[in-house]
Order: sequence, then structure tokens, then C-alpha cells
Amino acid sequence: MKQEYAYWIALAHLPRMKNVRKNELIVRFFEEKLSIIDFFHCEKSKWERLFFLDENEIELLIGAKNELANHSFLVEDLLEQGYDFVPITSPDYSPIMKNNLKQSHSPPLIYTKGNKQIMKENSIAIVGSRDAKNVSLEFTDSVAKTASKDYKVVVSGFAKGVDKQALDSAIKYRGQSIIVLPQGITTFKSGFKKYYKQIVDGDVLVLSTFFPKATWNVQFAMARNPIIYGLAKEIYVAESSEKGGTWSGVIDGLRKGRSIFVRVPLSTEKNANNILIQKGAIPVDNQGQKIDNYSAKEITSSVVNELSLAFEDIDSKIIKLLSTGAFTSKEIIERLKIDWTTRKLTNYLKKNKNIEVLKKTSTMKFAIKRKQEIQQSLFQ
Amino acid sequence: MTRNEAEIKLKRIFEFEKFYDEQWQTIDMLLRGERTLLIEKTGYGKSLCFQFPATQFDGITIIFSPLIALMRDQVNTLNKKGISAKYINSEQLPEENSQVMQDAINGKVKILYIAPERQENQEWVEATRNMNLSMIVIDEAHTISVWGHDFRPAFRRIINLVQLLPQKLPVLATTATATKRVQADIEQQISGNLTTIRGNLLRENFNLFVIETKSEDEKLLWLAENLKNFSGTGLLYTGTRVNTEIYARWFDFMGIKTTNYNAGLDGETRKEIEKGLMNNKWKCVVSTNALGMGIDKPDIRFIIHTQIPASPIHYYQEIGRAGRDGEKTFIILFYNSKQDENGIQEDYKLPKAFVDGGRPNINKYQKVINALKQEPLGERQLMKKTNLKQTQIRVIKADLIEQGIIREVKYDKSKKYEYRYDAPELNTVKFDELRNSKLKDLDSMVDYVFTKEPRMKFLCEYLGDNPPVKFENCDNSKYKKRTVQPDKSTVNKLIEFRETYFPILEVKSNNSNIANGVASSYYGVSNVGIALHRCKYENGGAFPDFLLKLTLKAFRKTFGNQHFDLIVYVPPTDSGDLVRNFAEKISSVLKIPISHKLVKQRETQQQKAFHNGYLKRDNVRGAFNYTEPNEITNKNILLIDDIFDSGATIIEIGKLMTNFGTKTIIPLVIARTVGGDI
Repeated sequence: MKQEYAYWIALAHLPRMKNVRKNELIVRFFEEKLSIIDFFHCEKSKWERLFFLDENEIELLIGAKNELANHSFLVEDLLEQGYDFVPITSPDYSPIMKNNLKQSHSPPLIYTKGNKQIMKENSIAIVGSRDAKNVSLEFTDSVAKTASKDYKVVVSGFAKGVDKQALDSAIKYRGQSIIVLPQGITTFKSGFKKYYKQIVDGDVLVLSTFFPKATWNVQFAMARNPIIYGLAKEIYVAESSEKGGTWSGVIDGLRKGRSIFVRVPLSTEKNANNILIQKGAIPVDNQGQKIDNYSAKEITSSVVNELSLAFEDIDSKIIKLLSTGAFTSKEIIERLKIDWTTRKLTNYLKKNKNIEVLKKTSTMKFAIKRKQEIQQSLFQ
Repeated sequence: MTRNEAEIKLKRIFEFEKFYDEQWQTIDMLLRGERTLLIEKTGYGKSLCFQFPATQFDGITIIFSPLIALMRDQVNTLNKKGISAKYINSEQLPEENSQVMQDAINGKVKILYIAPERQENQEWVEATRNMNLSMIVIDEAHTISVWGHDFRPAFRRIINLVQLLPQKLPVLATTATATKRVQADIEQQISGNLTTIRGNLLRENFNLFVIETKSEDEKLLWLAENLKNFSGTGLLYTGTRVNTEIYARWFDFMGIKTTNYNAGLDGETRKEIEKGLMNNKWKCVVSTNALGMGIDKPDIRFIIHTQIPASPIHYYQEIGRAGRDGEKTFIILFYNSKQDENGIQEDYKLPKAFVDGGRPNINKYQKVINALKQEPLGERQLMKKTNLKQTQIRVIKADLIEQGIIREVKYDKSKKYEYRYDAPELNTVKFDELRNSKLKDLDSMVDYVFTKEPRMKFLCEYLGDNPPVKFENCDNSKYKKRTVQPDKSTVNKLIEFRETYFPILEVKSNNSNIANGVASSYYGVSNVGIALHRCKYENGGAFPDFLLKLTLKAFRKTFGNQHFDLIVYVPPTDSGDLVRNFAEKISSVLKIPISHKLVKQRETQQQKAFHNGYLKRDNVRGAFNYTEPNEITNKNILLIDDIFDSGATIIEIGKLMTNFGTKTIIPLVIARTVGGDI
């Protein structure tokens, strides 16, 4: 129901609340058979009783509620301009993404333009560096070709290099594509002009999770990567260095047990493809075909711990660590090799809704907050 | 808030003692955050129903209203009461509008009036994100219904908006004219637990007459003899723009002070006329129905229609503009009931043609769809791509948007139309339904002409209202019928007028030395058009002498005193030497030398092959040359052609000659078409 959209904007872009908490609330009202409208118009007592909202959160929600009418004006304009809203409760929401990112990282609301049904198709992402070499671009082209032939959707991030090649090739081979934007969807005007025909024909879906009017920035570009990985069933890596978005995305994916296919590099190439294979990625040839019995040659660099972790990575790692017990900030930094000061991490942990402070000793210890058992049927 | 408490505040803020029951009922619901539709006649006090609660809310109330004049008046009145009200519309400078938006964001405005079209404006949409919004009002809500008499596409977005507004935000829709069907449509569109409050629509102070005639001339005759006998100032509605001109010039000829008004006039002129109307500068303003909506003049004493409107609800709405002060007001409708050979009444034809011609044929829709499947296009590009008239393009666009097949999207600063990837098939059943419904409405309007019942009773019942009163205010009840029995001298005057009435060709512009010219007649409204057609397209030979005589007469009346050095004529596309021969005859009668030096330097198509001004202009751009420019330098030229349509050819030649240093160029043509596009 379209009246809900203003409410979804209010919740999805609620500041100072993590997606995991937002999704928790969504799962809760979903299971209570309440709509998001009902949720927003709940009595305060019901918010506390049914949703366990604390004073802070209630204040946040009341603030958001006051802006609903303002969002309605924005929603009207966005719908008029041809943008769609896909809340996480919508049957149109990508089942692949829900499955990959789960309750902790799935964005509660996505904005799209184009054929939403593409999100339900089998999909692959082709990822790699912005300044990838020719051999990587050729690899990208042949993987996109095969995917298009097999009716698989190619997901890419509209960056230079591999991303752009993936999109261009999918279009060239008349396949379908999802463009995941590192910016608000209304700021992609030139792209909409360029891919007009493909959008009209239902072959391209443009997607963004950011506030619709937000312009590009580095944080968005980083935050967009997990969405690309999330939307794809399989991930093909054309070229990765030892840090940056591609790298951390793959590492994260491997940890979650996802199938990630990495192009076997030529001996002359200097990149981290072999390291990824060593870490468990599946080696593939220039056509994207699996290579059996490939052993990655000796790895020259193994300074994995220097990688700059994406924000979301830190979050999930901490949660994972804390699920084994209570730790001080210092201990957490040492164990996870995070490049942060103790003070920064302490402040960060204090704000995290899922973590509580245990003040048994003079040094603060952090642990996962105990919470109500919630059935997660929204996420299967 | 109880009614008592509210009425204490009412006294203090608005200086009224009490609410009417239906007013309070409405206000009470709005204060409780509910959605309401209020149907009350003009002059009832609908505005108070949102103005009062607006003063009680913390934030701002936004009123979407199509009526600029009304905005102005209400804002003035509110400001005088010390209530901070402002408006945003096209009459103000962009900077002024921006300032109002800023004030609204800063909480300095309680009541904000805005035209529905503004919802397309990015600055406005952006500004709404930061306002403290308390209530939304839709004024003239019948305009959101396609079944209403005045559907406005811009309101489509307002309906969408209302559907998207959060619960508990009060919404009020108001109208003075809604049949049960329109009411149901509004209710369905606004949705979300809407409560409707409906008052009675009877206007007691109206005296209603229908005058049956057997010709168009009889209308002119009756008016010439009777118009000056009405007290006060009024409005005269004609069915077409051309008729506003003809009627006004006839009254001028008869020494009655009137002026003509239509939507084609520029904003400055329109405002000037509206102001003059307020100050009773003329006996009446002769207008298309573009005038009057929202003119807040309480003492319009009479409204006369020379053509039947499209339905009784149009009629009720248009006459509703009169007599708001409750004083006696005359409402007169003319109807030419003469039947043609097929038994069709003359005055049925024009409104019927509007219904029939309301929609272009399906191929044209398909043309637009196909063009937009390839690329996004603006209106102008679309017209060039499809060779369709602007009026047609606009109808098609509105329909396709309505059906969810295309959408209007902003690309940077320009508006373009996009095909939607999931667009449904064009639904033509809908068009037929609408057409049938419109025909039924039109037939009801004719029923009004011939009804034996009290006329106000007929109108109220049509609107779904049944007031329990005795009706005594029309020529079917208390008053005697009016008929046309003109004086012989008036008839002679009309003949004289007809023979000396020549349409003006408006081509004057600042960057050309071309001046307004004259035609001997309109193309469609006399035998002139028939004669021209026969000669041009049916090998009927040279233009007959009566055309020459009439054209010379038009020339002498308009330009008889001016000196011309040379006659030049428009070289033909393919109708041979008709114009050349005609120009030579004129040259020999007027004893002005003729030149054959204006030539085409490239082939052009016949202008009538193009259906819009852009393509017509493209067709003739750079097409002409003057082989001996010295001959026309610093000269006064009479430029002759047969038919003047969009004026693109004449204007192009005017430019060419201006570049060669010609002093003045005055066009003289046999006929001017009616309703040339752009």
C-alpha cells in the first residue's frame, strides 16, 4: 500500500539506529500482523510492551512521525518520476538479498527504477577493480556473455573498470542487469537517459538504498558493495587488490560460506587473486569456467590483517566475538586487529543497541545484550 | 474543543457570532484529524471551514486552489484579520515565491495557498520537506474528477499526494458543484475514511430565462436592443474565441461598452480586464468560459450564454459566479433551435463537435507511444516527431499519463515524457465510456432548454439536490418568456456590420517590420471558404470576383489611407498562379505596381500538411528569397496571399524583407482560418 511509503522512509532513514535493530522491529510488527502504519501509530505503552523500545528509541520514532507528511510530498514526487519503493516486507524484495544479508544487514527499504522482477531472477555479480587490466575486462565480458545466455542477471555497481564492463557486456548480449548505485536514486539522471531503452524494455533495473536525493560519496560507495554481493547468487571476481571494497567483500563472503569465483591470474599479474583462491575462493579460467586441481602459487604477501575493514565488517565481527563472552575494548582491538583507538571503539560500542556494558570491574566490559526471542520468519 | 469554545474564538478572530451547523460539523472533524468532503453552494462560507481550524493548528495549512484571483482575495482578507496567510503562484516573481516558501519553512505562515501545478516544481517539493504540515485542503475538488465538468490534469498529482499522506493528518476537499457521480468519484479518490457533508445548492436570487432563436443573428439583435437595459455589470459567454471577438466588435459597433477576453490573451491583458471588470469599466465582458472562475466580484448582475455549455453542471458552475451578494440576478441562455436538413439543431452542433473531437483517433495515440518507446521526448520534440497538433498532443499525453502508459519526468530543467516499461495496453473502452457520458450530459443540457419545469428545480435535481421549496424565479414559473422581435433599424445595423467586419491578422512583432494585416473573412464561417476551396483544390478556376471585391473592401476600410509602394505576393507551392493572378488584379485596381521578385529558393510542402506551428515554421524557414532586394529597401509593401492559417509563411517573409531593409510589410489575405494551431 502506497500510503506506507512515507512511513518506510521514516523508518529506513532513522538516524542513530542500525539496520539490524530496524529489521528486528519490522520482523516484530510483521509477525504481530501489524502494518508499518499501525506500528507508527501505536500508543507509547504498546511500543514499550510489544517492541521493547527504550526512551531513546521512542524519542527517535516520535521525531520521525512528525515528518511523515513531509515524506509524503517526497513520495508523491518520486512515484511521479517513475521510482518505485520496495520495502523489505514487499513480495518484490529480492529474496536473494534477504537470504545473503539476513536480518542483520538487509536494507529495510530499496528504491528502484525499471523492471523489479529482475530481482527474483538467478543472478551473478562481477566485481573488480576500477582500473582493471584488459585481461580482467575480457574475463568480465565472457562471464557476462555466459550469464546472459543462461538468463542470469548481472549485478554491478556502475563504477569504472569491471563494473562498467559487466553492465555494457550484459546489454551487448541482451541480458538483464541490475545497477546498484552509490548515491540517491534521483541523482542518476544521466544514467537514466543513457539506459532509457533498456529500462523501457525491462532489461535494466536501477537500485539504490540511500536517501533518494543524496549525492555520491565515499562512504556510500563502500556501503554499496555489500548490496551488490547481497543481490547476487554467485560472485565472480575479475581482479582484486589486497584492500578495498572488492577484497573485503570477498573475504566477508568467504567467511559466510558463499561461492566466490576468482579469475586465475597470469604469472605476470600483480594482484591478490591468488590470495583469495588460497583463502577458499574457487579458481576459474578466463571464460569463468571452474579449474579443478589448481593450486595457487606461493603467496608473496600475507599481510591480511592490515586490510581496512568495512564498517559493517567490524560490526559483525564484534558481534561474533562477543557471542563467545565479554571483552574490554582493548581485548577486542587486539583480537580482531582493528585499527582503532580504545576510546573510539568504547564510544562506538556504547552506542550500539545490541551491546551492553558490564561494569563489574573498573574496566568496562562489553557483551551482547540479552533480548527477546524473535522468530525470523520474514527472513526464513 | 467544544462548539462553544470554538465560537468564542471565532468571535475574536473572525468576528462572526456562530458557525452554521454544517460548518461546525466539518471543523469538528478536521480538528480530530479526519478527512472530509464539503459540498456547499457558492457564498455559503466554505472557506471558514478550513481557515478557522488552520488558526488552531501548530503548523501550516496548505490549500491547493486552481483559482489565482481567489487566492489573492482570501489572502488579503485573512491578513486584515491578522492571520498570516500567503500564496505561491505564477503571478508572483520566482524570488517572491521562494521567499514565501522560506517563510513557510520558518513557521511564519499559517495558511498557504498554492496552485496545483506547483506540485511539479522541485523547489516546492524540496521546501515541503522542511515545513511543519498540519492540514491539506483541496479547493474546487470537482476538478479532480474526470466525470466532473472541469477536470484538471494537474490535480491528478494532488490526489496521489492525498492518498500518500499519513493517517491523522486532516484533509478537507470542498466544491460548490458535484453531482452524485462526481461526489462518489471524489470520495473514492481521496479515500481513507472520508466523510461527506452536503448542503443544499439552491440559489434563490437567480432569475432564469432561456431565449430560443432561429439564427445566430437573432442573438446579436436581441442583445443589441436589450443589453443596456440590464442593471449593473455582467458576463457574456460565447462558445468560441472567434465569437468573443465578433460579439465584442458588434457591441462596439452599436455603441455598447464591452471588451473581449479569452485564455489566449497574455497575462498582463487578462489581469487588466479582470481589474476593469471589478471596477465596472464595461457593461459586460465577452468571454470564453476561461473568465470568471475565482473572480471574487459579489455583484455580477447578469450572465448570458450565447451557446449552451456542455452540461447542466457546467452551466450551474458558470452561472454560479453571479450574484454572490444575494441580490436579484439575471441568468439568460440562448439556444438556436433551427434544424438543418438532417434535423439537427444548429446550437447542438458545436458542443457535439467538442465531444466528438475531444479525442484524437487511436492511430495518433499509437504514434506517440511508438515515439516514446524509443527515447524520452519533450512536448515540442514530440510534436515534431509525430506531426500532431499541440492540442491533440496534450489530450493524448494526459490520457496516456492517466492510463499509466507514459509519465512526465524532469530531465535537468526540461520536462520529458517517458514510456513505462510495465505499461498496460491503451484502453479505448474508457474513452467510449467518457464520450457517452459526455453526450448524455449534453442531452441533459438541451433538456434544460426545453423543460417545462422550474429551471432552478431542474438544476438542483441534476446535482442530486432536492430542496423543499416553491420555485418562482424563471420563465417556466413566474416570468413570461422572452422572444426576439427586433426593430427594423437594428436589423439594418447588423447588415452594415456584417459587411464591414474584417478579421485582423495578428503578426506584429518587435524584431520585424511586419505589421498587423487584414483578411476579408474567416475561412470557416462564410461562403468565402467554400469558394476558395473549390478554386484551390477542385480545379475551380480563378478566384471569383466577389472575393476580389470583398478583399478590396477590407483593404480600403483598414488601410485605405496608407501609402504603398509595391505589391508582392506569396509564391505558390502547387496551386499554380491563383495568387499571382489575384494580386495582379488588385494591383491594377489599386494602381500599385506589382513585383514578381519574391521567389522560393527551395521546395516546401503545403503548409496544411503540417499540423503544428513548429513544423510549419520549419517548413518555410529560409525558403524564400527576394531577387532584387534594392527594389524593396525602405519601401512600404502590401503582401498578398490567399489563406492565412498559422501565419508562419507571412512571418517568415516579413523577416526576410525586414533584413533587406523594407520599411513596412502589411499582409492582405482573402481568408483567415479559425483556430490555427499555436
